[in-house]
Amino acid sequence: MAKIIEVSQLSFSYPEEDGNPSSPALHDVSLDIEEGEFLAILGHNGCGKSTLAKHFNGLLKAESGSVKVMNMDASEEQNLLEIRRNVGMVFQNPDNQLIATVVDEDVAFALENLGVPYPEMVQRVDEALELVGMTKYRHHAPHRLSGGQKQRVAIAGVLAMRPRCIVLDEPTAMLDPQGRREVMKTIRRLNREQGITVVLITHYMDEAVQADRVVVMGEGEIILDGTPREVFQNVGLLHSLSLDVPQTAELMFALRQEDIKVPIAVLSVEECLEVLEKMLGGAKK
Amino acid sequence: MLKDVTIGQFFPGNSFVHRLDPRMKLLLTLLYVVALFLVPDFWGFLVIGALMGLVVAFSGISLRVVFRGLKSLIFIIVFTAFFNILYGGGEPLFPGISWLGWLKAEGVRNALFMIIRIILLILGTSYLTYTTSPVMLTDAMERLFRPLKVLRIPVHELAMMMTIALRFIPTLIDETDKIINAQKARGADFETGNIVRRARALVPILIPLLISAFRRAEELADAMECRCYHGGEGRTRYKVYSFSWRDWVALALMLAALSLIILMVIF
Ligand SMILES: Nc1ncnc2c1ncn2[C@@H]1O[C@H](COP(=O)(O)OP(=O)(O)OP(=O)(O)O)[C@@H](O)[C@H]1O
Ligand SMILES: [Mg+2]
Repeated sequence: MAKIIEVSQLSFSYPEEDGNPSSPALHDVSLDIEEGEFLAILGHNGCGKSTLAKHFNGLLKAESGSVKVMNMDASEEQNLLEIRRNVGMVFQNPDNQLIATVVDEDVAFALENLGVPYPEMVQRVDEALELVGMTKYRHHAPHRLSGGQKQRVAIAGVLAMRPRCIVLDEPTAMLDPQGRREVMKTIRRLNREQGITVVLITHYMDEAVQADRVVVMGEGEIILDGTPREVFQNVGLLHSLSLDVPQTAELMFALRQEDIKVPIAVLSVEECLEVLEKMLGGAKK
Repeated sequence: MLKDVTIGQFFPGNSFVHRLDPRMKLLLTLLYVVALFLVPDFWGFLVIGALMGLVVAFSGISLRVVFRGLKSLIFIIVFTAFFNILYGGGEPLFPGISWLGWLKAEGVRNALFMIIRIILLILGTSYLTYTTSPVMLTDAMERLFRPLKVLRIPVHELAMMMTIALRFIPTLIDETDKIINAQKARGADFETGNIVRRARALVPILIPLLISAFRRAEELADAMECRCYHGGEGRTRYKVYSFSWRDWVALALMLAALSLIILMVIF
């Protein structure tokens, strides 16, 4: 498969404040993201997830090392527009990323910037709203929508560019459970049906297990990288990074500490139930 | 309480006034303001009032919304009235009552005149923003004032700033409400004491508000860059406008009112 984003040996520090040199926010990070995959990035507060994400579309420039998006160098000014068109980004707070006061005008913002001609613009706005299921609300004022709906509008605003990849930085952190479900469903569908590469930064383990691949960061470095099953085997390590693991994995971990032989990475409730039944001697009703 | 501020808000709709071309609406509002300041006497307000009545009737937005918004401006209105009465000349209004001697006929007349003028001014401009989405409004400004680019006036940038300011008014109002409640919960008192005390009580509201506004601005800038914003060059617009019969009807009415008022001034 083709690589859409290639990060190699990236380091980055924010400018120092009042002469206090800051420790690097990213240190020697290398990461390849494949076209079409669903990647989740985990890590405790301040470990550099957002900083890394901002390198994916040139919001921040690599200090050393390199970031390539579709074989274009993300530190070259003349590539930025093309990179940003292909790598969309959605942030945590929907209130701070909506520019217009009517839903469809907001979705059109990126298209106006790209100089898309009028008839095509209308068509692409319709298409983007359809993809996130917000067509009904096209003439509404965003500040009267629910959090989940606002965030879907923000996603539509990015989708209108027809990007190959969407990076979402904790898109569900400010939402209620209902809003979280709506947004996750939308993200999964975009990945499966539209083949859009998804990079999801999250603090929620139940969201991370839905990904094809999980990357765990700590103190500006990548610590684990693998399928959810592989990553969540390292319960002890994740705990030491002050991260949770899915509850089922937690249970298996506790059982194993009691010397009970169970598999390590059990990620769904059904699977967990099966394991427990087997353990209790196949006590099937 | 702050939720009542409706200035600069937009109420989506499909009425006659909503469907006017935003450029025309902007022009009409300018003419309206000119007419309002030309008005020589109370009869003139009748003309302007009639015009405003038509706007209200054909916009589908009830006057109640506007008056809720007016409440928050009551201070400016009272202030204006007060100074007009204080500095007005003429005969005392109640010659018999000595302690009401400061109430002079001229002053009261002026105060009334000013109050009506301010209210009509607010009404006119409010209905512009109520019926025109900020994007359309600033779009219209950008188009109307484009010739000023020759004078190196950054028309696009100013229009974009307006769009964002209008967009964030409701957000910041919500936020102010939240901060006020949070400070009240901590025992802050905004309702008693003299003006100095009350002004000082505002500090713990303004500082968190300012800090959060800066944070929002930073995030918004990132979000705009992510969506390929790179200034006004090469931008296309989502809205295309053309003048229709509505615009010409509205313009004709406005010009009629304006001429009537000019006649009043002359004769
Ligand atoms: N604009 C900035 N200026 C200076 N330092 C910053 C800035 N943004 C982040 N940092 C610092 O860089 C480090 C990494 O921050 P980053 O925002 O990437 O973390 P994060 O993993 O996204 O955390 P969170 O889970 O809280 O979003 C932190 O130590 C943070 O304090
Ligand atoms: Mg972050």
